[in-house]
Amino acid sequence: MSLLGLSRWQFAITVMFHMTFPAITVGLSILLCVVYALYWRTGRAVYLQMFRFWRRIFAVGFAIGVVAGAVITFQMGLNWGVYGAKTGPVIGPIIGMEVVTAFFVEAGFIGVLLYGDGRVRKATMFAATVMVALGTLLSSTWIIAANSWMQTPAGYRIVDGRFEPTNWTQVIFNPSFLWRWPHMLAAVLISAGFFVAGVSAWYLVQGRAVGFARRSMSIALGVAALLMPVQLYLGDNVAGHELPYQLPKLEAIEGNWDNGNTGFILFAIPDQAAARNIAALDIPCLGSAIAKDLSCRTAMPGLKLTPAAGRPNMAATFWGFRVMFLAALLMFGTTFAATVLRIRNRLWTARRFHRFVLCTTPAGILAILGGWVTAEAGRQPWVVFGQLRTSAAVSRLAPGEVLFSVLGFSTLYLIMLLAYVVYLVRVLRIGPERDHPRHERPPDTPDSSVPDSAGVPVRREVAVR
Amino acid sequence: MITTLWLAVVLVCLLMYVVLDGYDLGVGVASLFERDTAHRRHLLESVAVGWDGNETWLILLGVALWAGFPAAFGTVLPHAYLPMIVMLFALVVRGVSVEMASQAPPARRWTTAFGVASLVASFGQGFTLGTLTSALHLRDGAFTGSAFGAFSWFAVLTGVTVTVGYTALGYAYTKQKSSGRLRESAGRRGLVTTAATAVLLAAVLVAINATAAPLNLSSAGRAFAFGGLLLFATGGAVTALVGFPWNRQSRAADALPLGGLIVATVSVFLALGVARYPVILPPDLTVGSAVGPHNTMVFLLIGIGLNMPMVLAYNVFAHRAFGGKLDSGAGAHS
Repeated sequence: MSLLGLSRWQFAITVMFHMTFPAITVGLSILLCVVYALYWRTGRAVYLQMFRFWRRIFAVGFAIGVVAGAVITFQMGLNWGVYGAKTGPVIGPIIGMEVVTAFFVEAGFIGVLLYGDGRVRKATMFAATVMVALGTLLSSTWIIAANSWMQTPAGYRIVDGRFEPTNWTQVIFNPSFLWRWPHMLAAVLISAGFFVAGVSAWYLVQGRAVGFARRSMSIALGVAALLMPVQLYLGDNVAGHELPYQLPKLEAIEGNWDNGNTGFILFAIPDQAAARNIAALDIPCLGSAIAKDLSCRTAMPGLKLTPAAGRPNMAATFWGFRVMFLAALLMFGTTFAATVLRIRNRLWTARRFHRFVLCTTPAGILAILGGWVTAEAGRQPWVVFGQLRTSAAVSRLAPGEVLFSVLGFSTLYLIMLLAYVVYLVRVLRIGPERDHPRHERPPDTPDSSVPDSAGVPVRREVAVR
Repeated sequence: MITTLWLAVVLVCLLMYVVLDGYDLGVGVASLFERDTAHRRHLLESVAVGWDGNETWLILLGVALWAGFPAAFGTVLPHAYLPMIVMLFALVVRGVSVEMASQAPPARRWTTAFGVASLVASFGQGFTLGTLTSALHLRDGAFTGSAFGAFSWFAVLTGVTVTVGYTALGYAYTKQKSSGRLRESAGRRGLVTTAATAVLLAAVLVAINATAAPLNLSSAGRAFAFGGLLLFATGGAVTALVGFPWNRQSRAADALPLGGLIVATVSVFLALGVARYPVILPPDLTVGSAVGPHNTMVFLLIGIGLNMPMVLAYNVFAHRAFGGKLDSGAGAHS
C-alpha cells in the first residue's frame, strides 16, 4: 500500500476509535448533571445510585477519549505535516480554543467528579459535573467548527500556498457549521441515550435493579424521543446546506454514476474503476420524492459529472450514509414505539420491547461513525475541499514508519477496545446494586432490593460479587 | 513583538508540561521500583486525580506550535516521528491504565502497565528533545528526512536524563503526598535520582557541543543569562538534595525537594532556550521563519492569552481540591 493509503488508514483507524468514546461520554456527562441535580433536590437514593453507576462507565470511556484525542492533535503534524503547515494559521487557533476552553475545564473538574465523593460538598460536586459537561459540549463545538471549515472553507486567502485567515467570523461560522453543529450535538445525545437505554433494558430483562433501570431508561428514551424528529430535520438541512458546495459527495451518497435516475438506490455495490454499479436495488420515484418533488421528475446527479480525479470513493460514502440513515430510522422507530408504550402505560411490562432496546444499544454510535465516514470519505480527494488535495497534504515519511504506526495503533486500540468492553461487562455484571447508598451499611446487613415503584412483580436482586 | 509574546506562551506551556507531567510520569516510573502493592497503588492514586490536567499542557504545547509556528509543527514532528509515535502509544496506555486501575481495583496488571508506560513515555520525550539537535532535511518547506535520520547517541543520553529527572520530580511529589515508610524511601531515592540527574545533565551540556546545534553563547548577554540560570538550577538542585533526606514531619521538609527541583527544571530549560534562540531546528529553521501570519497571531494572543489565567486557575483548583497526604486518609477512590 502507498504512503498516502497507509496514512489515510492510520487516520481513519485513530479517528474512528476516538469518536466511539465521545459518542458515549458527551451524553453521559449531561445525564450525570441531570441525575445529580435530581439527587441534590430530592435526596432520593436512586438518583445517587444512578450517578455513581453511570459515572463508572463514563470515567474509563472519558479517559480513552482524551488520550485517543491527544493522538489526533499530533497526527496533524506527524502524518499530515504539509496539511499542518498550510492550514495551521486557520485550524490551529480553533483547536487552541478547544484546548483552553474545553480540555482544561474538563481536566480541572474531572478529578472532583470522579473522586470527590465524601471529600467535597454537594454544591461543589454538582458544579464540577456541570463544568465537565460544559467542557465536552464546547469541545464538540470547536471540533465541528474546524472540520466544517475543511468541508466549506471561508474567510481566508492563500498566500504562498498557505491558508491565512482574513475574517474569523466567517472561518468559524462557515456555511456548513451552523447546521452540522446542532446535528452533531443531537447525535451524541441520542447515541448516549440509546447506550443508556440498552444497558437499562438488560437489567429489566434480568429483573435486576429495576428501580434504577426504569428511571435510567425513562430519561434516556425520553430525551431520544424528543431529539429524534429534530435530528431528522437537522440531518436533512445538513445535506441541504453542505452538499450544494460539495456536489461529488451528494452524487456518491445517492449511488448514481449517470444522471437521470429519479429513484432512490437502497443498496449498491459500486465499482469505482469501471464507474458503474455491479449490483443495485433501486426504488423508483423515491429519490424524486425525497427531493420534495412527488411528480417523479426530479433526477439525481451522477458521479460521472465529476471528473475521475475529483471523485470520492463511492462505496465508502454510499455505505457510510446508509449506515447512518438506516440506524436513524431504526432509532426513530424505537423511540416512537417507546412513546406509544409509555402513553398506554405498558413500557415497563413490554418484555419483548426491552429485549429489542437491548439490541439497539450501539445504534447511535454506529450512526455517528457512519455519518463521519460519509463526511470525510465524501470530501475526498480533498482535505480542504476544493483547495488542498489529501495527496499533497501528507508527510513524506518512509512507508515503513507509517506501517509501523498503523500496526501499532491497530493493535493498541484493539486491546484498549477489548479492555473497555471487558470492563463494561464486569461493571454491568456487578451491577448498580453496590452503588445504592444502602449498600454502604456494614457487610453483615443483608442486601435488599431497590424498592419497586410501579407495582410490577420484581425478582429479588442478586449481588453478583 | 507578537512573535516574542507567542514564543513566551509556547515556553510557558513547555515548562508547565515538563514540571506537571514530569512529576506525574516520574511517579509512574517510581512505582516500578516499589515492591509493596499497597504502595504502588498509593503512587498510582496520587496522580489519578491530576494526570488529565497535566497532560493537557502537552496538547496545548502542540497546538500552540501548530497555530503559531505552523512551519515548525509540520516539519519537526515528521523529523521526530518514531520517538513521538512510541511516546503517544505509551501515553494512551498510561491514561487508560490509571482509570482502569482506579475504577476496578486491585488491577495489578494495569498498575504495572501504568509504570512501564510512564517509563517509555518519559524516555520518548527525552529522546524527542534530543532529536532537536540533529539537522532537519527540507525541500520546498516540506520534510524529506529518513526514518532514523534524527537518531543519535545524544538523543539516548537526553532520553535517560529526562527519565531520571522526571523520576526525581516524582519522588519529590511522593514525599509531599505521603507519610511513613513511603515518604522515607521517596526521600532516599529522590536524593539518588537528583544527584544522578545533575551528573547526566552536565554530560548533556558537554555533549551538545558535538551535535549540529551547539550552545550559542557568542554574546556577553547570552553567556551571562546562561550562567545565571545554571546558577539558579544549581541552587534548586542543592535545595532538593538537602530537603530529600530531611525526615522530620514538617511542611518545609515536604516542600523543599519539590520546590527546589521545580526551580532547577525551569532554570535548565530556560538556559537551554537562551543558548539556542532563535533556532528551532538546525540548520536554519528559526522562530522568525516558522511564525504564522499576523491575523492568526493576534487571534491567538487574545483568544488563548486571555484564557490562560482561567486555565491556571483550573489547575490550581484541581490540585488544591485533593491537597494533603494520600496514605493517611482514604485512597483516591473507595
